[in-house]
Amino acid sequence: MKPNVSDVLLELSGLVARNAAPDIPPADRAGALGLTAALLAMASRTWDDAAHQLVIENRALRKLLHLEGDESDFRISALTAENARLRANLIDCHIAAEARDPELEAAIWTELVVSTERRLTQGSPV
Amino acid sequence: MSLEARIADYVATQMPEASDIVVDRLSRISGGASRETYRFRLSWLEHGASKSRALILRRDPPASLIDTERRIEFEAYRAFYGSTVPVPEMLWLEESSAPLDYPFFIAAEIEGFQAAPALLWTDPYLPSHGKLAERKWTILGEIAKADPVALGLTSVMPNVAPGDCWSRELGYWEQVLDDDQTEPLPIIRAAIRWLRANPPPPPKTIALVHGDYRTGNFLFDTAGNIHGVLDWEMAHLGDPLEDLGWSLNPVWSFGRNLAGGLVSNALAVSVWERSSGLKADPGALHWWTLFNCVKGQAIWVSSAKAWIDGGNREPIMVYPPWALQNAQDRAVLKVMGRL
Repeated sequence: MKPNVSDVLLELSGLVARNAAPDIPPADRAGALGLTAALLAMASRTWDDAAHQLVIENRALRKLLHLEGDESDFRISALTAENARLRANLIDCHIAAEARDPELEAAIWTELVVSTERRLTQGSPV
Repeated sequence: MSLEARIADYVATQMPEASDIVVDRLSRISGGASRETYRFRLSWLEHGASKSRALILRRDPPASLIDTERRIEFEAYRAFYGSTVPVPEMLWLEESSAPLDYPFFIAAEIEGFQAAPALLWTDPYLPSHGKLAERKWTILGEIAKADPVALGLTSVMPNVAPGDCWSRELGYWEQVLDDDQTEPLPIIRAAIRWLRANPPPPPKTIALVHGDYRTGNFLFDTAGNIHGVLDWEMAHLGDPLEDLGWSLNPVWSFGRNLAGGLVSNALAVSVWERSSGLKADPGALHWWTLFNCVKGQAIWVSSAKAWIDGGNREPIMVYPPWALQNAQDRAVLKVMGRL
């Protein structure tokens, strides 16, 4: 998810602290904290799953693209950077497959569908 | 000086016949990621009589998820005021940053109605869906058949040749994606390649396109009436099917698998055709619906970028990309028949 969850949590902690001040107008406080609560709930739901889904997806993409990769760093930031590298490769591979490899193109579409299932959020409209 | 006092000072320059001007009950309306929106009450004395009015302030934020000219939005509202397309009355447009730090406009508030889609899925709104859908796509048809020249909008909005509508819009939003994406977007890029390879036919007429006509951007009541169409900041001249396609973007189904969360796509299109007098060519409408999925993703990506760059750290800038970016990808897959 962009912006990164860790960056957003840090920003929200400051926002909550600012809204703890007694002179904040109630309507402003309600607006700020209502959305903050919604974002915290979304962050909590991705927390446990985030690294697992990135590892699964990165392995699937390496297999599809016949690429090697480093799996020594399992921090979410490192896994996300590797995911971005692989998905950039996937775009190039998809363009090439559209021109001359229907079987590979179909496999890429299948992976793209699965990638959205990995990223499903609660209450997603689609 | 408080924002209330600064608004009062500004209004005094616009209402020389008024005295004892007071602004109170100022509160920010949540949402509004493209402009800061406030409601307030204006009170004043005029020829010895005490008067008051509920007003809305729409002010540019430091950074927005949509970069638009507020004059275009202001003039679009003004063009339809008093017509069959219900809109609030526009009062003053200020393009200088001096009075309130950023450009803004002030409009009359249409009081007593709701805009939040979540309310529609609860009582007492559930029985109103059929009527509301009829009104929603009838009004969109009215916008589609309105003459932009007669409305005076061709002098404030860039013109476009019928054959250039699709390429201008796709080019604009693709550039937004190029500028603002912070991670690769393989599904959206595939959709753009398809759109470029399969352009739609040109429209028979150039229309005013609202640009964000969806459930959530109009004021409704429990009986299914619509009292105000809002959020015209992306209004432009173009293919009338563009608005219809945006209204059918699956992210605006709110998980109900219905157009706007209200009725089937087929019914929505038939109401629009009857109202506009236009025919929605299925192939062209499919193109514009997929295009609007790309446009939607560009907006969510821009919102994330504005937050990441530090231009706007409001929580409202995070919510759209977190809640809608993956859903928008799934909407592309659905429209392309891959889901």
